[in-house]
Amino acid sequence: MAVERMKTVGIVGNITDMDKICRTIVLNGSMHMLNALTEINSNYFKLSASEENIEAIEESNRLVPYNVGKDYGKDEQIIKALNEIFDFKPSKDTGSIGIDYDYQKLINAVEEEYGAVKELWDEIEKKNKLVEEKKNYIKNLSYMKDINMDISPLLNLKYLRLRLFIISRENFGRLKGNYENVPSLVLKIATKDDNVIVMSVAPQYFDEEIERLFATLNYQELKLPAGYTGTAQEIIEKLTGEIKNILNEIKDLKDLVQKRRGDVSPTIKKAYSALELEKKVELVKREAAMGKRLFFLFGYVPKSKVKRLQKELWDYFGSNIILVIDDAPAREMAKSPPTKFKNSWIIRPFEALIRMYGLPSYNEIDPTVFFGLSYMFLFGAMFGDLGQGFVILLGGLYLTYKKKRVNLGGVLSRLGGSSMIFGLLYGSVFGNEHLIPALFIRPMANINTMLILAIGLGVILMTISFLYSLVNNWKRRNIEEGIFGREGLVGFLFFLTLIFTVVNYFYNLIEIPLAVPIIIMAVLLLLNVFKEPISNLIIGSNRLYKESVVDYYTEAGFGVIETLLSVLSNTISFIRVGAFALNHAGLYLAFETMAEMINSGIGGTLILILGNIVIIGLEGLIVFIQGLRLEYYELFSRYYSGDGVEYAPVRLNN
Amino acid sequence: MDAIRIHGAVATKVKGMESKMLNDDDYINLLNAKSITECARYLKEKTSYGRFLADVDVETVQRGALEGHIKENIIYNIDKIIHYYSGSYKEFINTFFAKYEIEDLKDLAREVYKKGKIENYEDNVFVGKYSKAEPSKILDAKSVRDIIIALKDTAFGKYTIPLLDDNRGENLFRFEMTLDMAYYSILQKEWDKLSPADQETIRNVFGTIGDVLNIQWIYRGKKFYNIEPQLLLNYTINLYNRLNFRKIKELCYQSSLSQFLDKARETRYGFLFKNDETIDIYMDRRMHRYIYYYLQKIDRNTNMNIINVVAYILLLEFEARDIISIIEIIRYDVPEDEGKKYLIKNIH
Repeated sequence: MAVERMKTVGIVGNITDMDKICRTIVLNGSMHMLNALTEINSNYFKLSASEENIEAIEESNRLVPYNVGKDYGKDEQIIKALNEIFDFKPSKDTGSIGIDYDYQKLINAVEEEYGAVKELWDEIEKKNKLVEEKKNYIKNLSYMKDINMDISPLLNLKYLRLRLFIISRENFGRLKGNYENVPSLVLKIATKDDNVIVMSVAPQYFDEEIERLFATLNYQELKLPAGYTGTAQEIIEKLTGEIKNILNEIKDLKDLVQKRRGDVSPTIKKAYSALELEKKVELVKREAAMGKRLFFLFGYVPKSKVKRLQKELWDYFGSNIILVIDDAPAREMAKSPPTKFKNSWIIRPFEALIRMYGLPSYNEIDPTVFFGLSYMFLFGAMFGDLGQGFVILLGGLYLTYKKKRVNLGGVLSRLGGSSMIFGLLYGSVFGNEHLIPALFIRPMANINTMLILAIGLGVILMTISFLYSLVNNWKRRNIEEGIFGREGLVGFLFFLTLIFTVVNYFYNLIEIPLAVPIIIMAVLLLLNVFKEPISNLIIGSNRLYKESVVDYYTEAGFGVIETLLSVLSNTISFIRVGAFALNHAGLYLAFETMAEMINSGIGGTLILILGNIVIIGLEGLIVFIQGLRLEYYELFSRYYSGDGVEYAPVRLNN
Repeated sequence: MDAIRIHGAVATKVKGMESKMLNDDDYINLLNAKSITECARYLKEKTSYGRFLADVDVETVQRGALEGHIKENIIYNIDKIIHYYSGSYKEFINTFFAKYEIEDLKDLAREVYKKGKIENYEDNVFVGKYSKAEPSKILDAKSVRDIIIALKDTAFGKYTIPLLDDNRGENLFRFEMTLDMAYYSILQKEWDKLSPADQETIRNVFGTIGDVLNIQWIYRGKKFYNIEPQLLLNYTINLYNRLNFRKIKELCYQSSLSQFLDKARETRYGFLFKNDETIDIYMDRRMHRYIYYYLQKIDRNTNMNIINVVAYILLLEFEARDIISIIEIIRYDVPEDEGKKYLIKNIH
């Protein structure tokens, strides 16, 4: 239910064990890598000066980056080609290979197999090409189908040459405009799109000239097969028969290939697994620091996974490895511990919406719980309807299970569920308010109450977000913002006093002169204005201001105005929750009136169905966005920074 | 009414854009520059080209890179215009990118043909702009054939694929010609979709451009390369205004250069062949200058027409050509008065 705690793990091992250690890390799959060189040079890494650490300490003074960088491109190509030839699906079960294997040996075996099968495969490719060529001949011959004579003499003339070619309509126009000067008979036999198919017959004596002339027209020769007799139609039939034979041969060859399939399957699969693992291992190595005999690796590991990693490493390497495990300190942004969400399934889909804004940083409370619950509540309150909520719920389930859109589907189904609950409270089914009783309130009948309740809800949500902000500031030990800031204690007290004053003014809860709360608020605002000098006095810093004094007070002055405005406007903003609840009923009312005006049972029903579709589609979307707006703008801006780094461990299949 | 809907906004915009073009003073100041650095500095600080030179160090800038930045101005302005159009008009304006991309591709093909690789490409900023070809693929080419292969699946592929025929081998000349022809074919296909009024003016202007290009091509083909008449004819552009196919054919089939010149001087474009001594030196300038003033005239006399935009883009192109000429004039130390004669714009 929060951001998972992280530990830093440092590993020092023998370079001879490096491959295996890295493989263990990848297979374990819980280490978020850090650059080892930067890590060692920072102050966070310390090795206790014990006997077994001596060598490591010695080496840590002259380290170089790992830069052997292996290229797996060729191996990958071969394995991919084999997978294609044998029609293997790249197996996902790649973890089973373990760490004890000789990569080079596996690849050699695969290469051998590739050599054996490649010959067959090339043969198949060659035959495929032949089929293509013959198909092309058939296409070209089909332009000559209407010539009802044996065309072989035409193809084998002694003094003349027959050409079949294709040129653009435009260029054919040019040829036509200059017929009298072209030393060839030219016959247009077909048109195809913007092109013309032309047959020409010319003395071979003019070959060169014709060639040059047609080249200027950008012609493309259509090749005709040699060594056949008969009409074009007959030759086409012959070619078709030949293609069939070749296809049969291809099939035999393929069968031959497939016979090997069973034998080679384990080899290829194993090599594929090893390759996938090695590629990830390379990612781990890239962050390593290399000494003469030892290497260093660093990374973040979630607290719950540390034990397992430790055990796996110790079981295998025992005393040949030094593990340094430490609590993860809060650090500057880029290198601070990564964030891993840890939430129950009810609110997990909302993590996607948080991610849209930014991940919580490591020393910040994960807002998902508050966000998820309040968002469900806000959506339900604005869009409370048993029937329409059910439709959204179904839509969400459909997206989750059929379309595999887990996040969107999950959010929608939860919102739908919340809408159904509020539908019961408001007594509304598909907009109709007469079918079931309202368990709590009918919005349209109690407009003022609805609006006041909405503001009340806003006050509660804002209070919670102030509390979150206080905790976050406490975690950061930030006195200036935490105590005197607008989102800190001073701001919170100001907010409460203001709310109390307004409520008291209308409801007269206790007798107290108006001046008292106003003085309190003024004091609080002054504290806010002087927040930097005061907090610097408290910490005993020798400088009161970080920047120029004039700049600081100008900014602080405007800050007061902003505080006043934002507290009011943020609270009033929640009135929209009530307004949309009313709006929802009102929109339906409009369709209901139209349905009655139509005065026909079927037409009226159709209008109501249409109305419901519009309400679910249009209003559903608006409410979805408005709810998000309240969350992001009114609440997040108060307590949430969202500049965390995502936890991305090196592992297989991710 | 429709013309106003289509061209109203863009006409106003283009008028504004025209005011940013260089004036006579700019030309004179550029011509007065003593070095490329000085010229680049003037462009950077005093003209609308500054936008593209912001990150350029004028002290060290190379000629190729500078030319590339000058051409970026054309891209920038065409992109702006394209925003104001939709549908077929957008496509039509887009063909200008085809034109300039083809020039760049030809340039690169020549380079790869000579050196076996492409080293200087900084001034070829249009590559991929129309065809959507990946520039890196083209710049990696080791032969003209590689460029043709890189263009295979692009908008130019349709035209260049026949060049891959195994029997005929690599041929730079054919590559260039094919691309040129492709441009005019693309252009005509796109203008067929414009409104009748727009088509009419476009046909006129491009007909005239076609005339000039055709007559120049036939002249050069005859004088320098001795190309056979039927080949000459096949490589003419089928854009005609005053010189129709029949007249072009007649010019192609003149048996000697002097006979051709006699015939050519009778046409409207006789001015290109005015003085035997200077024909070749000034042919380009005469041709461009003729089109330049012709465009200005049409632009002034026509309103709410695609030609206003076309004229602007072509004048912008001429301006870029002039600046590049000026850079060359400076580079090769041509005296200012002599240099002026090579510019398209007439500077007094």
